[in-house]
Amino acid sequence: MSLQTDKRDFNTRTSDGLDDLFMRSAVGSAQDSLKTRRLSAATALGDWEQWRTLGQQIRQHTLKHLDYYLEQLAINVEDKGGHVYFAKTKEEASSYIRDIIVQKKAKKIVKSKSMVTEEIEMNRVLMEAGCELIETDLGEYILQMDDWDPPSHIVAPALHKDRTQISRVFTEKLGYTGDDTPENLARFARTVLRQKFLEADVGITGCNFAIANLGAINLVTNEGNGDLTAAIPKTHIAVMGMERIVPTLEEMEVLDNLLCRSAVGQKLTSYITVMGPSAAGETDGPEEFHLVVVDNGRSDILGSEFGEALQCIRCGACLNVCPVYRHIGGHAYGSIYPGPIGAVITPLLGGYDDYKELPFASSLCGACTDVCPVKIPLHEQLILHRQKIVKEHRTGAAERLQMKTAGRLLSSQALFGKALRFANPASRLISRHGRIVRGPGLIRGWINTRDLSQPVRQRDSFRVWLEQRKGGSDQ
Amino acid sequence: MTASNRDSFLNTIASKLGRERIYDVQRPDMQDLMPGNSSSLTTGELVDILKEQCFFIHTQFIESTPEILQRTLNDLIDTNGGGAVITSGDTRFAEYGLKFAAGLVWEEAAGREQNIMRSESANTAIIFADYALAESGTIVVESRPDQGRSLHFLPAHYIAVIEKKRLVLRSTQAAADLNRRIEAGEPLGSSINFISGPSNSADIEMQLVVGVHGPLRATYVLI
Repeated sequence: MSLQTDKRDFNTRTSDGLDDLFMRSAVGSAQDSLKTRRLSAATALGDWEQWRTLGQQIRQHTLKHLDYYLEQLAINVEDKGGHVYFAKTKEEASSYIRDIIVQKKAKKIVKSKSMVTEEIEMNRVLMEAGCELIETDLGEYILQMDDWDPPSHIVAPALHKDRTQISRVFTEKLGYTGDDTPENLARFARTVLRQKFLEADVGITGCNFAIANLGAINLVTNEGNGDLTAAIPKTHIAVMGMERIVPTLEEMEVLDNLLCRSAVGQKLTSYITVMGPSAAGETDGPEEFHLVVVDNGRSDILGSEFGEALQCIRCGACLNVCPVYRHIGGHAYGSIYPGPIGAVITPLLGGYDDYKELPFASSLCGACTDVCPVKIPLHEQLILHRQKIVKEHRTGAAERLQMKTAGRLLSSQALFGKALRFANPASRLISRHGRIVRGPGLIRGWINTRDLSQPVRQRDSFRVWLEQRKGGSDQ
Repeated sequence: MTASNRDSFLNTIASKLGRERIYDVQRPDMQDLMPGNSSSLTTGELVDILKEQCFFIHTQFIESTPEILQRTLNDLIDTNGGGAVITSGDTRFAEYGLKFAAGLVWEEAAGREQNIMRSESANTAIIFADYALAESGTIVVESRPDQGRSLHFLPAHYIAVIEKKRLVLRSTQAAADLNRRIEAGEPLGSSINFISGPSNSADIEMQLVVGVHGPLRATYVLI
């Protein structure tokens, strides 16, 4: 999978989402439950706003000195016998990983959930090289077994599937014979995947935060698959976006608290692990450890007006409060990064050609900004995107013409007055019972989901009525 | 990876930030910035917080004493359905005079395959916590030659023995202490695990399943 999960156009994708009633109800109830849990875990910490400010300060300090901390990280990883590779592009990153695997003649790979490996299309590259690659996060495993169905949520990737669909996938692909209770489905996956862990040559993980002064990475998980991936195979390859780094364990601790509480409403998830190359005398863990640091467009973001987007710690809290995500679902974004943060970073990583609609998939209510644990001004960044998209004339000729016409009408008192006078007769043919029911372009977009009243007759308009009243009171 | 490749990567970052490379940074003092960082709870209060949190993380909490610890652990092993037990090679097992029938030990001499196989075949793992964090119900353990990583994840049941003196309020205190050790140049294990209860997942219909890839059940024994 790459950044792009669906090549069809945005309107088709959103219509699909809106028509999928199961998905909409699943997303709705997931949002409600995660919102409540987040709130109670945030309240339990006390002074949540101060913690958010601290999270923001930590992220901004680290990003401002990113070259320094990355260098410190690399030196410390290498001191412990690990290897660090700095990849400018996604191709460089996935080729480096493929080369290690080919060189080791490794065939069996276990993987724990990682967004950046999706971004660099690592799975495709490794499978083309003839490897058996298994996603071990339960949600990701379900998606892989269902012919690599794309994820629809950052922390709950299989949110759009119900237990019946999952049970059917397990039955068809793996010969599962049990019922469709989540517990039995999970136990079945445990048994199948346990064997995969024990046989694997290489384990690949993402990285929540690298710790610069320790030369290690931090994984935040609940299932235990990330730890098994890094404990059993003799080689561990960790992949990180270059911004996912903290100076020390002290900053990690603050961010992990913000992450766990914001993502799933837990004080800490079951497993928070700091790990690196195996130390002398230790008998498990990786004998060979590689850390791949990926730029892939991030340095351009760093120097731009969207720099704050790199503060993101991938908690998904902004998805869980977004009214647009609630209705169109994760797949409609066509990106591995959905929701408000996805609408900000996807166009930055993938360009406006494919993703110019995403910044408009927002009501700009600002709920995302309020909930962000590291205070990214998400809705302001969406507005910034919109301004750039409009300036670059990417909105389509018809929309530009309509906007231009509207602009002229609204900026001239004389024209506006005339327009008001003719609005009612002009709209007669497309109206029924006082409502506009047909229309071109922007009007159609509006009336697809909302009512639009037919403009009133000139003599019934508020201005005329006010004039007459004024006249009456003067006399 | 050659140094020049790294340098070109890092130089790009510096130039995007509109400056030359920097080689010295003073990091802000976290202890000064931390909100509400003043706590003086008694051990008894910490125990109460831990006990309450265990309920939320689906973890059994048992208070015991050094004198009856062996019996407490034996009872737990029986409740788990017996089977093989694996422990770390922690010296505290000997200090408390603990011995287990069908007991396996993680040891450096056994090597990788043996240690992993022992853990996979064990029904219960028992370890001693280095720190215990009351607020989140977390125990902290470090990998060592006598305590591997997979020991905490392969057995179906996980028992952590917590000595009261290891109790602190939050992850904040443990992270600060660990970082102090790092900055003092003390070598740490290659894996530091903050474990809060058994493994779990809500990936299917957001319904919580306790016991996924790691242990199915977890018990903390406080002494």
